[in-house]
Amino acid sequence: MNILKIENLTVKANEKEILKDFNLEIKSGEIHVIMGPNGTGKSTLTKVIMGDKNYKIVKGKITYNGKNINKMEVYERARMGIFLGMQLPLEIEGVSNADFLRTALREKEKENFKLLSFIKEIESLTSKLHMDKEMIHRGINEGFSGGERKKNEILQMNILKPDVVLLDEIDSGLDVDSLKLVGESVMEYFNERKPAILLVTHYQRLLDYIKPDFIHVMYDGHIVLSGDKTLALKIEKEGYDKIVGNIHE
Amino acid sequence: MNKITINLEDIKLESTDGIEVVIGEASKFLNVQSVKIKIFKDTDIFIVSNNVDIKLDFYINVLEGVRSNIYEIKHEGDYKFQYKYYLEKDSYLNIEKINDGNNIKEMTIINLNGENARVDFNLKTVSKNEEKYNFLVYHNALNTSSNILNNGVNIMDGVLEFNVSGFVSNRIKGCNINQKARIINLTENTCVVKPNLFIDEVDTVANHSAHIGTFKDEELFYLMSRGLDKENALKLLIKGFLLKGITNKDDLENIVNKYWG
Repeated sequence: MNILKIENLTVKANEKEILKDFNLEIKSGEIHVIMGPNGTGKSTLTKVIMGDKNYKIVKGKITYNGKNINKMEVYERARMGIFLGMQLPLEIEGVSNADFLRTALREKEKENFKLLSFIKEIESLTSKLHMDKEMIHRGINEGFSGGERKKNEILQMNILKPDVVLLDEIDSGLDVDSLKLVGESVMEYFNERKPAILLVTHYQRLLDYIKPDFIHVMYDGHIVLSGDKTLALKIEKEGYDKIVGNIHE
Repeated sequence: MNKITINLEDIKLESTDGIEVVIGEASKFLNVQSVKIKIFKDTDIFIVSNNVDIKLDFYINVLEGVRSNIYEIKHEGDYKFQYKYYLEKDSYLNIEKINDGNNIKEMTIINLNGENARVDFNLKTVSKNEEKYNFLVYHNALNTSSNILNNGVNIMDGVLEFNVSGFVSNRIKGCNINQKARIINLTENTCVVKPNLFIDEVDTVANHSAHIGTFKDEELFYLMSRGLDKENALKLLIKGFLLKGITNKDDLENIVNKYWG
């Protein structure tokens, strides 16, 4: 059982407080969804967990299986099994997807890395995610559409097999078919490996495919309301203003 | 396969398929050697230099309608090379150059003399000491195109400079000029890019970009978030930066491995 615990976390970027006394605990086999209006710190939360140095932790701690990871490097967190599927995956010219993933997997698996299995898995995943087989030889996200970039994040997740999956608006930029494909792929990965998943989304529609255990509403840097899947439906029906307003009244 | 090998002071020619080559002295007084190449049919030329100890002038003439690739690589040595290219009507020349010398000074003059002549130039260098590249690109005929890409990684005691000037005179219509230069400077030393466009004709498409700096933090974060440490992430970014657009990647991969393990 892996446990990611965030306790009283306050985070600043450019002297502005973004996360304020934030608390959350995620365990293996749980899917947590963070929803909330724009600018409330949802993406910041995922980046801080991953160790982005643009954000400064001024108070509180993030622990993974009891170990404080506040000062851990990004790659150390990744090697421990934390994965961030990004909202806007970068295009990196010249660095091929194959080279990148092979290097990343080699770092993770060391002497257990097997090139043939890697190639076979890539082939199977590109086919499953309806991706162009040639994309693996192109630069990372080079010339990819928004949807292809998101699929590439899911492909990387499947290759690296993390225990904690952070997915930041993985549904943005996806058409209905791709949304279904990505949603089902995430759920399939969840059913196979039972990771802890933290999903950031604006829309209930992704939750038609990914079945969450908890929905949290984030506002002004912390969680103001938690519930089950029905909360997402309520948000979609009533909007954040009403729900957050009710809490503050 | 056409191959010209230059070791120390020795210039050797292997095979001549579609080219005529004359090796001689450009200036006895200045101790400058010369290599004159006439390309008269579609072909590839490889130029490999090792530990060169001479000044050398290249004169390369691409005849009408001919399409050619020149792949050049320099290892070690202190280089003072000058290149003069002459492209005739409807000719095309693709130049891919990989430099791994100690000190390099190059002057490249490209004359697009015939209508529709086109040149693609792609330089990749790892600069460790002093490297200076000057380019003069003359669009002397209608509808000529030049695409000059210079990429360098500056390390150790490197000081790298790219000066690129493109010229289009009045009434030379329909030309296309593209200049791109990017230096990844991994030192505290000063690097310079000077892109110049001297255009006296409105019917011209011209672009230029110049970038000096390191890789973006976001790029490193992305790679590191998949488990690559900073050293490996940087190596991968450098490799991608240098290998992009190069046909013969093996030599360049060896150079990347030489400096970045």
